[in-house]
Amino acid sequence: MDKTKLVSGIFFQLTPKKEAFEGRSGKWWFALLILVGLALAFIAGLILVAVGSNSGMGLQVVTGTFIIGFLVLGGRAGSRYVVEQGVVTKKRAFAWFIGFCLITTIAVSVASFVFLPASAFDLWFVLVTGGFTLGVMVIVLYDFYPVLRERGNPGLAVTAGILLVLSIVYMTFIAYWIVPHDPFTLDVGRPLAPPSSSLPFGTTSLGQDLFSRTIAGGAIMLQVAVVSVIVCFFIGVPAGLGAAYRGGMVDRVVSLLMDSIFAFPGLVLAIAIAAMLGPGIINMAISIAVVYVPSYYRVIRSQVLSIKELPYVEAAVVMGARDWEILFRYVLPNALPSAVVILSINFADAILTAAGLTFVGLGFPIDVADWGYDLTAGWGVLVIGKWWLMTFPGIMIVLLALGFTLAGEGLSEILTPKLRE
Amino acid sequence: MTNALRIQDLTVEYKTRRGVARAVDRVQLSLEENRTLGLAGESGCGKSTLGRAIMRLVPHPGQVAGGNIYINIDDDIPCKKGDIPKGEVDITGLNEEQMRVLRGKEIAYIFQDPMTSLNPMLTIGNHFIQMIQAHNPEIEKEEALDRGKEVLEGLGILPERVTDYPHQFSGGMRQRVMIGLGMVLRPRLLISDEPTTSLDVIVEAQILEQMAELKKTFNLTMILITHNLGVLAQTADDIAIMYCGRIVELASTENLFEAPQHPYAQALLLSVPDVTKPNKKLVWIPGAPPDLVDPIPGCMFNPRCPMAMDICKTQVPPLIESETGGLVACHLYGGK
Ligand SMILES: Nc1ncnc2c1ncn2[C@@H]1O[C@H](COP(=O)(O)OP(=O)(O)O)[C@@H](O)[C@H]1O
Ligand code: SF4
Ligand SMILES: [Mg+2]
Repeated sequence: MDKTKLVSGIFFQLTPKKEAFEGRSGKWWFALLILVGLALAFIAGLILVAVGSNSGMGLQVVTGTFIIGFLVLGGRAGSRYVVEQGVVTKKRAFAWFIGFCLITTIAVSVASFVFLPASAFDLWFVLVTGGFTLGVMVIVLYDFYPVLRERGNPGLAVTAGILLVLSIVYMTFIAYWIVPHDPFTLDVGRPLAPPSSSLPFGTTSLGQDLFSRTIAGGAIMLQVAVVSVIVCFFIGVPAGLGAAYRGGMVDRVVSLLMDSIFAFPGLVLAIAIAAMLGPGIINMAISIAVVYVPSYYRVIRSQVLSIKELPYVEAAVVMGARDWEILFRYVLPNALPSAVVILSINFADAILTAAGLTFVGLGFPIDVADWGYDLTAGWGVLVIGKWWLMTFPGIMIVLLALGFTLAGEGLSEILTPKLRE
Repeated sequence: MTNALRIQDLTVEYKTRRGVARAVDRVQLSLEENRTLGLAGESGCGKSTLGRAIMRLVPHPGQVAGGNIYINIDDDIPCKKGDIPKGEVDITGLNEEQMRVLRGKEIAYIFQDPMTSLNPMLTIGNHFIQMIQAHNPEIEKEEALDRGKEVLEGLGILPERVTDYPHQFSGGMRQRVMIGLGMVLRPRLLISDEPTTSLDVIVEAQILEQMAELKKTFNLTMILITHNLGVLAQTADDIAIMYCGRIVELASTENLFEAPQHPYAQALLLSVPDVTKPNKKLVWIPGAPPDLVDPIPGCMFNPRCPMAMDICKTQVPPLIESETGGLVACHLYGGK
């Protein structure tokens, strides 16, 4: 990468230079058109929704988060620029960037406390989280896109997946301020009213606005999925690694435990644990995590067992590598790509299991907007032709799962050098 | 001349389900500095086991049942679990951490299979960085990389290829990388176990040539394990012939090819094809080596030996000095 390319990030590819557009195929123009169209539609839709928001603050919130997002981008570009100029080292510039983000956060918080009315106090949290989510999205494009693009299709898949997930996260953060109706208010319209111009997604059987519920309904799914996947990953992977590397008694005991968990049907076990722990995001996440830990454990264990016997591990011993070096530089990196595949499947499955838990009444009460709840409620009324109640939350769940899957599959390919080309 | 390696009465046994297989049987060997010893013999005679025993890496059911292995160390080597003093060190008495410090730094080992001996997740350059930093954590990445490049250049690999991954290299190039990794820390002793067996003849010749070159610049002492005597003719100073876990003859390369003493060595040489004499009759050795789990008494070669005598069936021939100045273990020699 040459210097200008390093500093300008994605804008190098997007600079409207004449050469950049010359000799491009029709397909390229078509792809560009779709991309730009999508981005514009996203922003236009956001503004449109924000203008008609129930809170009356939608536009301000969207603008605020965008300002923070671009501040973050600016900080990042600035820190790159000083590195490029040779003023500071990479590490120092990164520290500056983190400091800049912290200062931005504090400034936004202070400004919120000073200028906002007490009723909108929690707005600062939304501004900061939403703003930084946007910031991360822009940085993914700005920083990673040129790098990921060199990785070919898997790189693009990862980018698309991350952006998809992050846009849903962003939407969820600012949801309360941009929705046209309070997602919990009953009888906004006639119960089970079909989509119309005033209520674009129709209403639920309690007459709540489905459009607002669709915008706001991701919070629980996202939290449950992220928490449960993190818990599983950080229990299953070390357990598999340790058991397989140690062998003997440790391996037998842990394997027995994992196999007995694995022997239960997943959803039934999750229901049992959720029933025991009671409702709540963490409890739901834990009950899903318990179901998935054995998958990670098994995959990592079997991978490590076979990798341990491979010549390159023995070659590392012969070179005098330390035990931890062999474990973390030779065994784990080779075993991890298969865990990442499980990870993406796990994300998607966790979302669906969360929907399932809600279905059997172990999810959340009605006054919480949740795709899983609406989906399962919609399933009951599908037979009488009320298709919208199930469709819109369903699409969101599919989009979220798709984002995770794209990111995970792409990542596992990028992590394996042999699959990169 | 000091000995880089001295092996005394080394015995290695594999405890298998069928019984105990003695893969290395009371081996005596000493190797002077800066020389190349060729270790030859039919496959299954215990060459790899002997080589691995020197690394203290005998694979699982196997263990060293007796004997000592001494290596010579120039300087005191610091180690967290007990520094290793300079001079002759018996490695059978060292702990695992001391052994780890020696591996790669004092004794290096190159395996037969280059295709799977490199970590697919690391670039070639990172292999060198890992290798060097495992022993010298104070060396910076850049310097470690430079050292790697230097060695690779000597082996005919372009330095800029350090950013490539193993799968982007051919078998011959991967083996060069392995050799480079084995040599980069300038170990005292380099053991290569059939390093070129899986490669084609032209690549084999090139690699052997480059190894010999690097051996000279780095002042290495080398043990070259092979079942191919032709390879040893060009590269080895001395040759040890093994049969059923025992060294049956040790001689300088010249003497061994001109006047092999042991009947097994003679038979082995007759079975080497020679392209310059296309009409030479190839002789193979009838029969198969005895089962190591159920060894026969006396000279292990006696069922296949054309010169076998009565004493051969009852007494193990001792390893004695031969007429050509080497060592031989056969009742035909030594009077009595
Ligand atoms: N892992 C093992 N388990 C049991 N026996 C083994 C094992 N490895 C080698 N042996 C035995 O040790 C003998 C010597 O093997 P090896 O040292 O590999 O011979 P070489 O390298 O000369 O072909 C063989 O005859 C084999 O039966
Ligand atoms: S000792 Fe006897 S059997 Fe063994 S090689 Fe010599 S002559 Fe042959
Ligand atoms: Mg062998």
